[in-house]
Amino acid sequence: MRSNMTRRQFLRGLAGLAGAGVLSGCGTAGVTSTAGPSATTPTIGTAGPTTRRQAALLRFAWWTDVGNLTPFQVSTMGPGGVVLLSLLFDTLTWKNAQGIIPWLAKSWEVTPDGRSYTFHLVTNAAWQDGKPLTADDIKFSFDYYAKHPYRWMSTGVVESATVLGPGQVQLRLKRPYAAFLEDIAGTVPMIPRHIWEAVADPVKYTSADATLGSGPFRFVSRDETAGAYRLTANPAYWRGQPTVGEWRQFTVPAAARVEVVRQGSADVSLSSDASVRDLLASDPHLRIFATAPLSIVRLAINTTHPPLDRKEVRQAIAYALDRARIATTVTHGPAIVGSAGVVPPETPWYNPNLKQYAYDPAQAQKLLGGQPLTLNLIADAGAREPELMRPMLKAVGITLNVQNVDPATRNQLLTEGNFQVALTSHIGVGGDPDYLRRWYAGEEANAFAQGSIFHNDEYAKLGLEEAAALDPAQRRAAIFRMQEILAEELPTIVLYHRRFYWVYDPAVFTPLETAGGIMNGIPFPNNKLALLGES
Amino acid sequence: MARAVARLLIRYLLLACGVVLLNFLLPRLLPGDPLNVGAAEGLDLGPPLTAAAGHQLRTYYHLDEPPAGQLFAYLGDLARGDLGWSIARSAPVSGLLLNRLPWTLGLLGTTLIFSASGGTALGLLAGWAPGSRRDRRLVALMAALSALPEFLVALGLLLIFAVTLRWFPLLGGQTPFAQYSADPLGSGQRALDVGLHLILPAAALVLAGIAGFALIARDVTVGIRYAPWLIVARAKGLSERQIAFRHALPHLAGPLLTYFGLRLGAVLGGALVVERVFNIPGLGLLAYEAIRERDYPVLQALFLLAGLGVLAANCVVEFLYLRLARRQPARYE
Repeated sequence: MRSNMTRRQFLRGLAGLAGAGVLSGCGTAGVTSTAGPSATTPTIGTAGPTTRRQAALLRFAWWTDVGNLTPFQVSTMGPGGVVLLSLLFDTLTWKNAQGIIPWLAKSWEVTPDGRSYTFHLVTNAAWQDGKPLTADDIKFSFDYYAKHPYRWMSTGVVESATVLGPGQVQLRLKRPYAAFLEDIAGTVPMIPRHIWEAVADPVKYTSADATLGSGPFRFVSRDETAGAYRLTANPAYWRGQPTVGEWRQFTVPAAARVEVVRQGSADVSLSSDASVRDLLASDPHLRIFATAPLSIVRLAINTTHPPLDRKEVRQAIAYALDRARIATTVTHGPAIVGSAGVVPPETPWYNPNLKQYAYDPAQAQKLLGGQPLTLNLIADAGAREPELMRPMLKAVGITLNVQNVDPATRNQLLTEGNFQVALTSHIGVGGDPDYLRRWYAGEEANAFAQGSIFHNDEYAKLGLEEAAALDPAQRRAAIFRMQEILAEELPTIVLYHRRFYWVYDPAVFTPLETAGGIMNGIPFPNNKLALLGES
Repeated sequence: MARAVARLLIRYLLLACGVVLLNFLLPRLLPGDPLNVGAAEGLDLGPPLTAAAGHQLRTYYHLDEPPAGQLFAYLGDLARGDLGWSIARSAPVSGLLLNRLPWTLGLLGTTLIFSASGGTALGLLAGWAPGSRRDRRLVALMAALSALPEFLVALGLLLIFAVTLRWFPLLGGQTPFAQYSADPLGSGQRALDVGLHLILPAAALVLAGIAGFALIARDVTVGIRYAPWLIVARAKGLSERQIAFRHALPHLAGPLLTYFGLRLGAVLGGALVVERVFNIPGLGLLAYEAIRERDYPVLQALFLLAGLGVLAANCVVEFLYLRLARRQPARYE
């Protein structure tokens, strides 16, 4: 037992278990950005600075089973699966704390039209069965994904893959795509041709070699009933042997995610509730790592539905909500009030000069012109924001009806457009900002984009420009302008941005904050670089 | 007797056909889409399943077919003994069920045995001296226990014995990837590990279920306490213990058997909640997750298993009734 539990901590645990985990969804978190944007977020803890060291075993408590660890069977009901997959499989590029770095591709060139990328591969990469990783494997991977899509990221923009020579492969795109290096080259796992070329049905392929990749860890076993995974270090990893000998990941209900680390049953876990800092303040053995605020809680608005088709009404809602209070109440921490442009602060694409909507009920009433309104809000059962919003909106003459539903029902209503306002919260806003275009272009038929019903000609045109832009300055200008349009039109109102709080044992783990999150914006500190002793 | 048994079996066979049809319909009546279910519990919103992957999987799992086509495919698979392939877990459903069945059966078996035997003993004890202080206390205790839902009992036990006192593991059915000895000692280690993990969930279910058995046993005992045949037994000079166990206890069998059959379904429902609280990898937890995930093949199989299981249990209970009905009149004559 690491520390004695006080009565207050016991009661907090009781409340957490009863309320947050067992019967409802999860808590949320947010922190005020008082220090302004920063590239990295400080580690919060009581002990001194850590040093990297060899750990025989690292145990990660995650919330869910993540499926079979192949690109075709991994669960997409959370990022835990694809991050685990990244320990088994490599990508052409990767990201560190500063941004995109070479990985399987040691360098690359792009043609002036932005449609052809030539990748030069490292010469010492090998699959875990000892066979060399070649340009043929890279071409095969993209060809295979064209027939059997990768679940996490679409490769649809890739028109063709061609082997130019030993260690050289060219990917031809259907159109210039500025996010290619991060969202596709840095996210899509490369698979061995000599295994998968004989597999006609990857959805049901469960042979032992299905998990064989070129990554720093080898798959050992999975306890399907417990949602537990065991990986061991790949001693022959082409980039050097991992500093962690064995990685175990197992499923723990959200309510117990921090407690298992406190009890010493796990070394790393996470919480989205800022009060975890108080809970662990007196624990000298554990630390907390707060990620950048790469998650958002927002209202998706159906802009085709009167009266929400009028931007004045949407703006009035924004003015009427005391979003700082909502965030503080829900997350138990200081708030980062949502940016009207969606892109979170502390990220390089954040436009700091936007029209924002500070709490101003008088302005809200003025915009509404004294007209009483009734709005219907869809929210997950257990979400606390609606009850906080209700009196704030009532004060300006808006009656809020809340329909609590489970996530699957919510998704269906949003997909059908059968809603007025919906409360959603998710990650995926930390990586390349092309999501601003995809949400409203109808290309991203996933949960993040649901409820994104908004048509604006200039916005759509800018989206096409930024997606194809090769000049970073031109792209930045387009992205900043898109944020201005979002801030003016408010097709979505971001209530707050939030961090995740990773609880870890510094004796065995050193967190690493990835620029914009791992791959396409996953705010996890267990970037495989951290397990390789790199930063 | 043979005709009654045949009628019984035909009735249950027809009910089983209805259960199969309901199994197919119920998951599909839920709003939601198996390929667009949001996030796993503990997360707010699921990350992307790409549109391309979504379209391909929809065809792969025949979700783009009309319901009639899906029903025929389901019945065809069922006729071949194929329970399907889990959409959310990429695994054969039969394997998922077989892996989890021992956990639930172990939990249910332990629970029913302890709650039935303990409840009967307590009920007999209370009913033997109706109105006494012991009776009043036991009835009050049982009434209080029967008012507590399983999840509340489970949470209380979890907080006291796992979180605060740390006497028992916080969750799970066993320590993940635990290394046990290869010799017979290893079996003991595993049994101890599993036992330690299951004590609290089993205790929660026993506590939540014992009251029903106790109160029924108590009421029946009070009713037969001064029955003529018990007075005769006393007149023969038998001790109270002999009278209670040899003569009174068998008369509790009928009503308790009925309650036992009814409890099977209820305990299965309770196990769902308790498995969720303690993260026991049984059928209850699988059902909970499958509902969230709208995993039609898994839900169909679980409903089928639960439905047929309860039908079979009730069929056995009715069969035993038939036998008891033949014996009871002879006893009173």
